[in-house]
Amino acid sequence: MADFIQIIILGLALGGVYALMASGLTLVFGVMRIVNLAHPIMIIAGAYVSYWLFRLYGLDPIVSMPIAAIVMFCVGIIVYKLVFEREAASAKYSEMTVLLTFAVAMCFDGLLGTAFSNTQRITSPSYATEAIFFGDLFIPKGQLFAGIASLTVIAALVAFLQFTRFGYAIRATTQNRDAAQLMGVNVGLVSIITFGIGIGLAGAAGALVSFVFSFFPAKHWEWIAILMSLVVLGGMGKLAGAILGALILATLAAFVSTYIGTTWSTMTFFLALFVILLVRPQGLFGDPLEES
Amino acid sequence: MAKLLEVKDAVAGYGRGPDILTGTTLSVEAGHVQCIIGPNGAGKSTLMKAIAGLLPLRSGEIRLHGERIDGMRPDQILRKGICFVPQERALFGKMTVRENLRMGGFILDDPHVLGRRIDFVLEAFPILGERAAQSAGTLSGGQQQMLAMARTLIVEPQIVMLDEPSLGLAPQIVEQMYDIVHMLREKGMTVLLVEQNAVVGLSNADRGSVLDLGKTLFEGPASDILSDPRIQELYLGKPTQAA
Repeated sequence: MADFIQIIILGLALGGVYALMASGLTLVFGVMRIVNLAHPIMIIAGAYVSYWLFRLYGLDPIVSMPIAAIVMFCVGIIVYKLVFEREAASAKYSEMTVLLTFAVAMCFDGLLGTAFSNTQRITSPSYATEAIFFGDLFIPKGQLFAGIASLTVIAALVAFLQFTRFGYAIRATTQNRDAAQLMGVNVGLVSIITFGIGIGLAGAAGALVSFVFSFFPAKHWEWIAILMSLVVLGGMGKLAGAILGALILATLAAFVSTYIGTTWSTMTFFLALFVILLVRPQGLFGDPLEES
Repeated sequence: MAKLLEVKDAVAGYGRGPDILTGTTLSVEAGHVQCIIGPNGAGKSTLMKAIAGLLPLRSGEIRLHGERIDGMRPDQILRKGICFVPQERALFGKMTVRENLRMGGFILDDPHVLGRRIDFVLEAFPILGERAAQSAGTLSGGQQQMLAMARTLIVEPQIVMLDEPSLGLAPQIVEQMYDIVHMLREKGMTVLLVEQNAVVGLSNADRGSVLDLGKTLFEGPASDILSDPRIQELYLGKPTQAA
């Protein structure tokens, strides 16, 4: 029984980090219908920001999380202006974004690889190797702090979406783009800022990832499928769904890792993706798909 | 009477498709209810979308109080004073009735004014008041249309454009919708509406415009259109009297 509870604790703590990693991806899809395959490389870029701030100035990654978020927010705005803005009026915009974001991912992969090489890195604040014990149970401090920080950022995001004027504009644009325009929302501006926020969330997640996982630029290829499975399970564009998807799959992966083997843990996400697409392609919270 | 809104030689269409508006001309006077009628495919809804900024003109111009508004974004046109309720009602199905009303006043900067107007609408339309916390997507068709039209009261625009407000509604509900149209006019707004049910639309309007194949064929008092035998035969479904 203790093992069972232990696995759930570890799964949920990691799920919190996954939830933050996926939240930006699902937000950007919800508002702009961009399937952002470059999201994981932006997480890695955010991880490098925190890594270097830790290495050069000894800045704790949780403290540097807002800096990573702001840096990546600015990167997001620049990428959007350079790559997506001029294509926004295209009838095949959503399909095109898959190719465009893939190209952006390749470019950032190359840039980061050239700048920092593909050496595995990890920030090592003291708590990253410590744990809190409750009898037979333990919680790794790194995962616990990362999980709490993730959920705090997500709570702030939900409050922003729920209670602020700009949050209303984002939610309205997510639900009905034309209607939002008719209510006076500048959907072009909403798109730019939302993309920036999405990439900023990737940056914030990157700061936490920097001490929870070892990372290197090419690692983002592995995370694309993981993040997609979280988002698809919850329902594309549904923030609550992505959070729940992250908690469920991370816990499931923790069970697989313990009882079947660590190497099979990642397969949990891939298998889940297949099963979801076969059984309930709209995900847990998604709207029913229209039949063509 | 001063012209509030003028459309001159407007040409517009969707994507790379053919022109739907082929030189449309329209003039709207302040304080009136004006009804646009015409057969399917005449370009009535397209004209409204073009005025609202959802569809760019290929040529021609649209002026509000003499100022050109074609080429502006929909949010800019709303700020100029034109509010559009499309056929599909433009509601946010997963937001509550109150949140939809709040979105209706998105351009208002003063939260106190916004709050007062939302309260006014919820009092003026008790059905909406009772369902203020309910998701808009769960309302009946008539209630959704009521919400879409009542929402225009929040911004108090100069012109309210309604595309097929009676579409899919029971006759009793249609009467309620036209009560709202008259309420809008009494509050000083000009109403421009497109109506497939031409007799109902014109009966509730001061002026009318007949559109066919993207061109305006006639514009004048609604009573003249209703009594014109040629228009009756072509657009109102009434046979001409045998000589």
